[in-house]
Amino acid sequence: MREIFFYLFAFLSVAFAVISVTHRNVVKGGIALLASFVSLGAVYFTAGAEFIGIVQVIVYGGAIVVLYLFALMTMDLKSFGKEPLKTLSVAVGGAVSLVLLVSVLYAGYKFYGGVVTAGISGAKEIALPLFYRFLLPFEVVSVLLLVATVGAVAVGRREE
Amino acid sequence: MTTFDFFVLSGLLFAVGLFGVIVRRNVISLFFSLELLLNSANVLLVGFSKLQGNLFGEVFVFFVLAVAAAEAAVGLAVVVALYRYRKSVNTEDFSILRW
Repeated sequence: MREIFFYLFAFLSVAFAVISVTHRNVVKGGIALLASFVSLGAVYFTAGAEFIGIVQVIVYGGAIVVLYLFALMTMDLKSFGKEPLKTLSVAVGGAVSLVLLVSVLYAGYKFYGGVVTAGISGAKEIALPLFYRFLLPFEVVSVLLLVATVGAVAVGRREE
Repeated sequence: MTTFDFFVLSGLLFAVGLFGVIVRRNVISLFFSLELLLNSANVLLVGFSKLQGNLFGEVFVFFVLAVAAAEAAVGLAVVVALYRYRKSVNTEDFSILRW
């Protein structure tokens, strides 16, 4: 049962990722990206990474993609214009990504028989390493988020 | 499901994202592709975390999420400022720094 859902949602996330990258309409691409991220959250659930799956849906689906769509709403979509597809860039992009895919699969081949442990890691299990072993990075991340918020406001402010 | 399946999923997502970064000319689409790249790394981190049986990989995914949120906020602010300045989000119109 787990396997079926893993493969189903993995396929869905890759398919929606392809749509989001190749679709000419940016808003539809954003919606496809949202679907891809929610499917990835489901993939994490099937792998037993419960907390990461929930956070994936909330942060990526609920915050980041909505932020992008919200920023898109402030722009004039008709002014975006057509993107001419250059054969050279498509060829280069396809070749580079194919090489990268093959190298990732080659590197992963030695883990071919690796069995995924069945344990479920919810918020309680994550909290132990997060707040004991990685407490300093956690605090640094909070400062990073504060700096990013201030920076975003400072950059996006309209100058008088 | 084995760890290799996580490699396949991660590699496919990374390939799609890299293709988008190279081919697309719209800055918002570039951001979508960048998020896909970050997500492919997250998939592999979760897979390794489940292979090793400890949770350090998932904690790292948590940090990657925070960094992605910060990147999205600052990047979008830059894009909105550029759009106000140039009335365009096409990367080919942002060539004033090119010599």
